[in-house]
Amino acid sequence: MRRTFPSGRSFALAAIGALLVLIDAVAAFATPVKQAPWHPVAAAYRTSLFLAGLSPVSWHAVTAAWIEANPGAAFDKPALDLLNASPGGNKASDAIRAALEARERQAVFAAVTRAVADLLLERLGAARSALEDGDASSAIAEARELYRAFEDGIAAADPEASRRLGLAWLTLNSSAGSRGLLGAGARPADAARFEEALATVSEYIAANFDPETFTPRERMAPLPETVVAAGGEVAVPPVLPPAARMADQEPLPRLVLNFEEQGIDETDLPLVAFGDMLFDSAQIFGDPARSLGIACSTCHNRSDVNRDLFIPGISHQPGAVDVDSALFNHVSNDLRDDPIDIPSLRGVRYTAPYGRDGRFASLRDFSRNVIVGEFGGSEPTPFMLDALVAYMLEFDFLPNSKLGSGGLLTDSASPAARRGEALFRRPFAQMDGRACASCHVPSSNFLDRQAHDIGSVSAAYAGAQSGALDTPTLLGARFTAPYFHDGSLPTLASVVDWFDDRYELGMTEGERSDLTAYLEAVGDADEPYEPFDEYNTPFKLAFEELTTFASTLDLLIPRRDAEHASLLIDTVAADLAADASAMSNLEAKSDVYALATILAEVGEAISAADWTAAEARWSEFKETQADVAERMF
Amino acid sequence: MPCLPVPRRSVLIGLGASLISDRVLAQDGAGLTLAFIPQENPDKLLGDIETITAWLSERMGIPVEGFVTFDHAAAVEALRNGDADISFMGALPFVLAESEIGAEPLLSEVYRGRPTYRGRVFVRRDSGIATLADLRGRSIAFADPISESGYLFPLDEFVQAGLITDAGEAESFFGEVFFAGGYQQAMQAMVGGLVDAAAASQYADLLLTPNQQAEVIWIAESEPIPSHVVIARPGLDPAIKERFTETMLALNEPENRALLAYVYGPDGYTPADAAAFDGVREIARRYGFLS
Ligand code: HEC
Ligand code: HEC
Repeated sequence: MRRTFPSGRSFALAAIGALLVLIDAVAAFATPVKQAPWHPVAAAYRTSLFLAGLSPVSWHAVTAAWIEANPGAAFDKPALDLLNASPGGNKASDAIRAALEARERQAVFAAVTRAVADLLLERLGAARSALEDGDASSAIAEARELYRAFEDGIAAADPEASRRLGLAWLTLNSSAGSRGLLGAGARPADAARFEEALATVSEYIAANFDPETFTPRERMAPLPETVVAAGGEVAVPPVLPPAARMADQEPLPRLVLNFEEQGIDETDLPLVAFGDMLFDSAQIFGDPARSLGIACSTCHNRSDVNRDLFIPGISHQPGAVDVDSALFNHVSNDLRDDPIDIPSLRGVRYTAPYGRDGRFASLRDFSRNVIVGEFGGSEPTPFMLDALVAYMLEFDFLPNSKLGSGGLLTDSASPAARRGEALFRRPFAQMDGRACASCHVPSSNFLDRQAHDIGSVSAAYAGAQSGALDTPTLLGARFTAPYFHDGSLPTLASVVDWFDDRYELGMTEGERSDLTAYLEAVGDADEPYEPFDEYNTPFKLAFEELTTFASTLDLLIPRRDAEHASLLIDTVAADLAADASAMSNLEAKSDVYALATILAEVGEAISAADWTAAEARWSEFKETQADVAERMF
Repeated sequence: MPCLPVPRRSVLIGLGASLISDRVLAQDGAGLTLAFIPQENPDKLLGDIETITAWLSERMGIPVEGFVTFDHAAAVEALRNGDADISFMGALPFVLAESEIGAEPLLSEVYRGRPTYRGRVFVRRDSGIATLADLRGRSIAFADPISESGYLFPLDEFVQAGLITDAGEAESFFGEVFFAGGYQQAMQAMVGGLVDAAAASQYADLLLTPNQQAEVIWIAESEPIPSHVVIARPGLDPAIKERFTETMLALNEPENRALLAYVYGPDGYTPADAAAFDGVREIARRYGFLS
């Protein structure tokens, strides 16, 4: 009965009046909403189509989608078990197994699609049998949950049918009647209406998702067969599979901006503010990242990491992602399954060269490659790159009172950490006479800007000389587990053990724990996470950030810079409305919608090259904002 | 205390054997048995029940066990014949159980600081519909015929506005009336343009995507409705009742809050106020649930 957002209540008794519950964590920024949990069979279906659409296909992962429980499902039951338990479901699950073994995309598509369709039809049959007892609603609800597997495909390819079926589902549920409560308030079923609606749904599902044959499919999308057979495949808006998690990390990392700590207001730094906006903008990427609402900040939350980010097929574990896979930009797909643990960008001005292997000398080149190469965006303007870089150069490491200048521990560090400090500086013959501190230089932010092959990369092919990685900083590391480029080491203690084993350092247990204590002290922070409370809410943070972004219009409108103004407005107007959904002060929601509307009107005026109107609307925005901000929090 | 091993019409789907055998524990008269009504998949419910009953048992120092009933009627029957001591239900089923067997409210769920919520009538922002009267001849999706906030209370707003005199007139006032099967289904049908209005809990717009939320407004709101209640069977030992209530209130403490997710996920609990249900009793009488 754990209810998650939007509604954990699924395919069981219809709303008994259960209160809706808010998500435990409301995404602070314009991160995509969490999906409602799926029927396990629908979850397996969506996951396997998504995975089979990537290239190369990981058949192991596609199989796992059916034989293991899905984290995006409403409850933990492997989909194949559920199929096997349903009348006639064995046939469907045998077909799925056979197709998976044959490793054929089309066969898998057909088998999994038929399995969902058959189960859906079976549930509708069960609803019909239960009609007389007034018990049809739970079977209808389950069938409806299964229909969700196909819903976006039908909506994209066959809007007329989508509407017709939508009404049929409403009718099915309404005509099924109700047993009422404790003998009172019962409503009789309307068998004739029920049959008619049932026929509408069943005939469509049978014809389109369980047809004689399926036209060969290019895209792994739940498109209705009759439409594809007649006119080919249509595009469906990109979606991630049920288990994907793109919401911000909980707890949200604290952002430390150099200018802000010095009391300078971001609205007085228009280039930085514009860069801040770009860092939060999905508009600079191409599809699917853009439609999915992915921005730099989705992975690098508040300049740090997002340890919770998970995209099936391109994340081998939470917090890691293969940025050059087939998902985001097929042109730059490197065909290698090599997810990388997301690095923190704190102190990024000190950490050149960039990329785990230091392949880009400049932050500007790296960022351009992220936008164009990895995420398929159009070529950014020089102004955009200037802004993005100007913003990232403000990222500071987390304040840590355990560290003084020169990277030396202060008195507030523990005795164990101080013993560890000495060990950290002790040269070991087994490491070519180096100390840990030779590479992680304390006075240089615990890095040396060199690439070293320390043996942490497994050889990609026999004799490969490609294992060198940039020495990472150790600052803030307490909060960025897991460790190493592939996130293979879960704790700082395990990193110490790794070095001890790999280089046969022969440390005693006490030494290892002292060294770990030292790493924990170096990697510590006085306040690592954003301190939210009644007043400083996630919404307030987002709202202030968005209005700061908007303030760059003070620069762009007088310059008549339509291109960048439009990009800003597209990002901010949408995000304002989206963030309103995270407001705790629900009554003020309409104020935020009003602001978003005015901003959109600024955008319309700019598109029409009517700068006078744009200026007028922009002034109105600022007045309204001042007004609203007062009563908002 | 419980004597039948398995209450009639209960423990249907997939109930683990362990939960059944545990029931023997409470037979010495010192235990407590909770009846849960499935709102979701029973498999999931069972895991949650195990967690919460284990915690209650440890805190209260007596055996506590739970089982899944078939529906409200079975839960009430279990309370009547002593197979269950405690159950969890909405305000409407509670007032029926109260009148039928004298069940007593112990605790109310708290959401956003209140033990109440409201029903609302939502429409699309661009629909031009501004009042309930504008809905004459139009279509509406209610959540469910036994939903307080998704049917009875919003419907009553139409009565109070003088647009209809009773539920029976709804069919002729509206162009078409649907029961969508839940808040989310009702809201989706409205946002998607399948119907003109949706009646649901005041928080139901949060079930929509952020973009959809921006497209929706509400035009009427009901009286506050008491949220779900934890109820006791008549005649339950007052000492146990008190201990149970105190223990449940400890769920409000920061270190225990995570457990709230295992009991239908409210923000917290507050002692129930029997008088707060007068409005529901009145609605239940007017719409034929109580005589
Ligand atoms: C889907 C997740 C994701 C998104 C979105 C993303 N990054 Fe990254 N970022 C990564 C990963 C993973 C790496 C490590 C890649 C590697 O080393 O090859 C990385 C590395 C970096 C680095 C190198 C850090 C260092 O110290 O070596 C920079 C700089 C960076 N990203 C900036 C950006 C910017 C700017 C954007 C937006 C334009 C962005 N990232 C968007 C996941 C992401
Ligand atoms: C030759 C240079 C070198 C030496 C010596 C060295 N390191 Fe490292 N260290 C690296 C490199 C390179 C990595 C990145 C490895 C990877 O990502 O796979 C790393 C990674 C780490 C990490 C993980 C950081 C993260 O965020 O993932 C820790 C912690 C660490 N080293 C601690 C130590 C300790 C303790 C010692 C001494 C026992 C030590 N290092 C010695 C180069 C060095």
